[in-house]
Amino acid sequence: MFENLSSGLDVAVQKAVEQARDTNFFKAGITGRGVYPFINLFEKDGDLVLTAELAGVKKEDLTIEVREDVLRLAGTRKIAYGEDCSCHRLERKGLNFDRSIKLPFRVEGGLIKAEFKNGLLQVTLPRAEADKPKKIIIN
Amino acid sequence: MSEKKIVTKTQTQDLEKKEHKEERIVAGRFFIPPTDIIENKESLIVMMDLPGVEKKDLRVKLENNMLEVEGRIDYSTYEGLNPVYTEYNIGNYARSFKVSHAVDTRNIEAVLKEGVLSLTLLKEPEAEPREIVVK
Repeated sequence: MFENLSSGLDVAVQKAVEQARDTNFFKAGITGRGVYPFINLFEKDGDLVLTAELAGVKKEDLTIEVREDVLRLAGTRKIAYGEDCSCHRLERKGLNFDRSIKLPFRVEGGLIKAEFKNGLLQVTLPRAEADKPKKIIIN
Repeated sequence: MSEKKIVTKTQTQDLEKKEHKEERIVAGRFFIPPTDIIENKESLIVMMDLPGVEKKDLRVKLENNMLEVEGRIDYSTYEGLNPVYTEYNIGNYARSFKVSHAVDTRNIEAVLKEGVLSLTLLKEPEAEPREIVVK
């Protein structure tokens, strides 16, 4: 059935699908894309660990904020070459980014640990004590 | 869909990681690191994104005018972690370039900083023109 479609429509359909995927329209599985920086979220002993690859971002250019259950990652990745330079290949991108991530639970603000080494950011987000489920003892 | 598929690239797709297709001896995934190559008056500069690679796990080799870069990541960082939500894959990095004779291969400077490798390749001072005496 699809063979009959003109190639122009084909491209349009492809583009629409790509865009819909970028906006998480399909909500398929646990993978997402279309934003920068890319993040991975892991679970460890009931707490969360967030990792992000931020090669070339300086520590002072990176802001991490947590409010209740929303984590914000913002910063700048600067890539600049001198006036006298000519380029053969430019694949890396310099950009400003600002991204908020909704976490599945509230985070204990004082216990967050962030490590930024070799362009790899790792943030440990412990679950807030007040947010943990309470065990109810049956009389 | 029809056979001749034209895929229009968006900017976000450009940022995605590309994986090496050929087989390698080392187990695990290998990605092609995004690279900038810049030239100025006296040198060629290669900038490569290698997030998560430590200095000791990075190998830069020059053989037969092929400049090979291989960076391994420390998988132990991810031990005991269960993925909840993922946007990127982790793996090692490898890329190689052919270096022309115009480069002074004995003096290549490599610096790894904040997950970015920068290689400075000095250009060979241009061979001076000389006259050959006929005997």
